[in-house]
Amino acid sequence: MELHENKLIAEIEKLKLDFIKTTEKLIKDVKRQDKIMTRSDKRQQQEYDELQSKFAEVEALQKEIEDTQKEVVFTMGAIGESRSKETGNHVKRVAEYTYLLAKYSGLPEKECEMLKQASPMHDIGKVAIPDAVLNKPGRFDEDERRIMDTHAQLGFDMLQSSSRPLLKMAATVAYEHHEKWNGTGYPNKLAGEDIHIYGRITALADVFDALGSARVYKPAWDDERIFKMFKEERGEHFDPNLIDIFFDKLDEFLLIRDSMKDV
Amino acid sequence: MQNLKLEATKYTPEINLDPSGTISLVGKSYPENTFEFYAPMMEWLEEYFNGNAADTTVVNMEIIYFNSSSSKLFFDFFDLLDENASENKIEINWIYDEENESAEEAGEDFIEDFEDLNIKLVQK
Repeated sequence: MELHENKLIAEIEKLKLDFIKTTEKLIKDVKRQDKIMTRSDKRQQQEYDELQSKFAEVEALQKEIEDTQKEVVFTMGAIGESRSKETGNHVKRVAEYTYLLAKYSGLPEKECEMLKQASPMHDIGKVAIPDAVLNKPGRFDEDERRIMDTHAQLGFDMLQSSSRPLLKMAATVAYEHHEKWNGTGYPNKLAGEDIHIYGRITALADVFDALGSARVYKPAWDDERIFKMFKEERGEHFDPNLIDIFFDKLDEFLLIRDSMKDV
Repeated sequence: MQNLKLEATKYTPEINLDPSGTISLVGKSYPENTFEFYAPMMEWLEEYFNGNAADTTVVNMEIIYFNSSSSKLFFDFFDLLDENASENKIEINWIYDEENESAEEAGEDFIEDFEDLNIKLVQK
């Protein structure tokens, strides 16, 4: 009986040892797990902080790039303008008009914003037109007109090799802003919707602004004359849909014109 | 014993286990299923230390990023080395890039946790 009891105790003692060993291991594991979690949390926090600061850096760089791009594009527009007979705020107003036309044509906001930036470059090709032609007072003869008209092709050639979407868009604008809806424009006599919407929009914006502005060779047209001409040119020079938008939203166009007058 | 070599992936390190005594893990470690991924390595190591180990075993760990389950696995890995450290000569190099502070800290932590192992911090 005593022997039996002792054996039982020995077994229990052994179990107790095993139990202690197991619990010690469990405690060690739990402690280790806690340690891993604490460290992971700390590391995650550091990494997230770092990520956030990197993101902020990337954003700042992105903005820098966009600002630089806007400035370059605008400067190019101004260069084109300095080589043309347009003056003052012409390209700025054209930019705003193209934005409106793009918006009401249903183009996505991002594209409207891009067109607003690209359209001021429509006359960039004029930098390659000889001064003698460019600055000639009075009317061009046939040869001179032909030379002048190459500015669309020249602008396209300058910009088209770029892989930047904005400059690609500007290339299209430069190339097609003298095409006419009825197919009598230049350089390619494109008609209707074969003319890119960017070209059609810029054509209308450019002409509207040019007619309404005084030049050394002509006074500013009054609105009545401009509107009459636009109605006549609906479906001729201009995309009829864009003319409809123009008259539909006329107030907004006139507001831009009034707020950005030449001084 | 055969070499075990696993190429690095986007989420897992390059692993090179050579029975002539070199063990190396290089890269990032945040696999989807960590323990499954490392199972062949752990099996290889069991077999290696089961009478197949070289006179000196050099472990080179250059882990630039790891998740918490990898951290757990590295504990198991060091445990295994620890268990075999009395009968085998094991040298461990925890290699980190100067700019990677968290890798350096992780190395320091492992040194603290495994006092009996010979872990060296090696700056690249």
